[in-house]
Amino acid sequence: MNRRDFLKKSAMAAGAVSLPYLLPGGTLFAPTGSRIANHVVFCLFAGGVRNLESVHKIDGNLMPNMLTGNESISNDILGGMSNLPSPASTRLQTLGTLFREFRYKQGPTGHYGGHNTILTGRYDETISLAQRPKYPTVFELYRKHSSPEQAALNSWWVSNSLGPYPALNFSDDPEYGAIYGANYVQPGSMIVGMPQDPIQLDDVKLDKVASMRQFMDNNFTSKTTAKDAGITNTAANRKRIEEFLRAEYQNAVNGQYSSFWGLQQNTINNDQVTMFFAEQVIKEFKPELLVVNMQDVDTCHQNFTRYANNIRKADYAVAKLWETIQNTPGMANDTILIVAPEHGRNLQPNTISDQYGRYALDHTSDPTSREIFCLVVGPPSKVKQNQLITQQVGESIDLVPTIARILGFDSEIPGGRLFGRHLGEAFV
Amino acid sequence: MLGFKFLDHRRWTMDHRCFKKQGRGVAMLFLASLLFFASCKKEELYVYEVNDVKVKQDKGDKNNVKSQTEFIAIAYSDLFQTGIDRATLEVLLSPYQAFGDQKLIEQMIIKSFLNVPGADVPTQAEMDANRSQFVTDAYVKFLAREPDEFELWHFERLFAEDPSITPQMFYFAILTSDEYRYY
Repeated sequence: MNRRDFLKKSAMAAGAVSLPYLLPGGTLFAPTGSRIANHVVFCLFAGGVRNLESVHKIDGNLMPNMLTGNESISNDILGGMSNLPSPASTRLQTLGTLFREFRYKQGPTGHYGGHNTILTGRYDETISLAQRPKYPTVFELYRKHSSPEQAALNSWWVSNSLGPYPALNFSDDPEYGAIYGANYVQPGSMIVGMPQDPIQLDDVKLDKVASMRQFMDNNFTSKTTAKDAGITNTAANRKRIEEFLRAEYQNAVNGQYSSFWGLQQNTINNDQVTMFFAEQVIKEFKPELLVVNMQDVDTCHQNFTRYANNIRKADYAVAKLWETIQNTPGMANDTILIVAPEHGRNLQPNTISDQYGRYALDHTSDPTSREIFCLVVGPPSKVKQNQLITQQVGESIDLVPTIARILGFDSEIPGGRLFGRHLGEAFV
Repeated sequence: MLGFKFLDHRRWTMDHRCFKKQGRGVAMLFLASLLFFASCKKEELYVYEVNDVKVKQDKGDKNNVKSQTEFIAIAYSDLFQTGIDRATLEVLLSPYQAFGDQKLIEQMIIKSFLNVPGADVPTQAEMDANRSQFVTDAYVKFLAREPDEFELWHFERLFAEDPSITPQMFYFAILTSDEYRYY
């Protein structure tokens, strides 16, 4: 190859590589600051859900609140299904766009890696369990690059379990970090451990305490970094949050977390409690960015039928969440709901059989465990309605750019920070 | 030199043996003199004592952040003069891990501690009786140091001007200060 040919082919190759980053996502050319909607609720239908059981419905429609179709649940596992209220007449799929063949393309199909990818928009095959993300999370990007910068009260990360998940509310990236993190909350632990019977101080006295504390802090050669103290809310917002948390504690004491949505107490699982709590966050704070994490389907490592049942429960919870959004002034008709698992599960089962004779499923990075779905729901003026995309379109890293585009801060993110693309196919 | 006074020529000629005897004595005397002067140096007095060392920490010396467990356990023992039991500690750790804004949780925990009967909080009368001592005691107790002159002046003046500030409020402030988070 002569020098001229080499340069020509190199230029073509470079164009082939860079073009997809420029055109399909529209990230670089998106209008500055314009928003598609003022709120995003992203529901991580997590714990590892196989497309076979969800959108391919091989055991019937286990997600009748989200998906259209009335396929019957397989007879052999029917005995393991809880009684749930009838699905709403309007399926969420009809209110938006379903990417049926979404993908988690790279990295081990582990929960934490999957969550990390979906919340940072970057595949990171080296992240360790509970290690803070190396790259900024969607919360940090949102708070830092929105104009004006957003308060922590506007971004929430509600997860159904502790484990490594608290570490996902902000990254170790030195340009971002705790000062741009989200209000992480794990409702169960928060309510169980609520500090009781505080001294009662009115606002005036609290201001005086804050003033004394400020004097002390100013007089201390502070080694406190934001990371030490986690994220930071303003004093006024802390007061609101504390009142909210104490109210939810009282609601729990009064039994509201044992009986809600018309569910029987013995059928309520942790995902549903988490989603119920997320509803209260929506009602109280109307956050612009809320990410809710469900996880109970991961029981599939030991019990397939319970997994199928938990898919149904999660589906019901998503429908109730959407109902709450539509009943909350300020969020109704101005919210985009995104639902996606972090990864799937293996095609081949493991050796553990449940009482219905079904074998359990792990997730060890086989091709099936990379198959997921993504449902984008929103008002007809913003989201294409009743659209089913059956081709393989979209991947996990596209969700951060999509959220950034919806909330209008995509164009403010420095170049090289976004690796996926905006899922423009879903939007009007 | 003292010995040469005895070098008498007559005696030398008379009795050489006598001279030899005397010479030995002179030599002995010379040696004794040397020893005497050498040994008569003034004895130096060594007094061993301990230098003054500050055992309290300066503000700038606190470089270690307390862990969540340490924060709760130390705050509890500071306020109740006894260790926290493991079950209570675990319950209180739960919201600490379950919420992103650690400062908020710390404030909630301290507010609860301060309302528990048995919390070692001075009365308003004790505080008003000697504000300087109250502030100093609190700084020593919680921050392991005495307040500097400015801090002392600031709080004495503040308490004098604003009688609505209670010992509980001051304790709440100091226990949730940045400095208390360090050791």
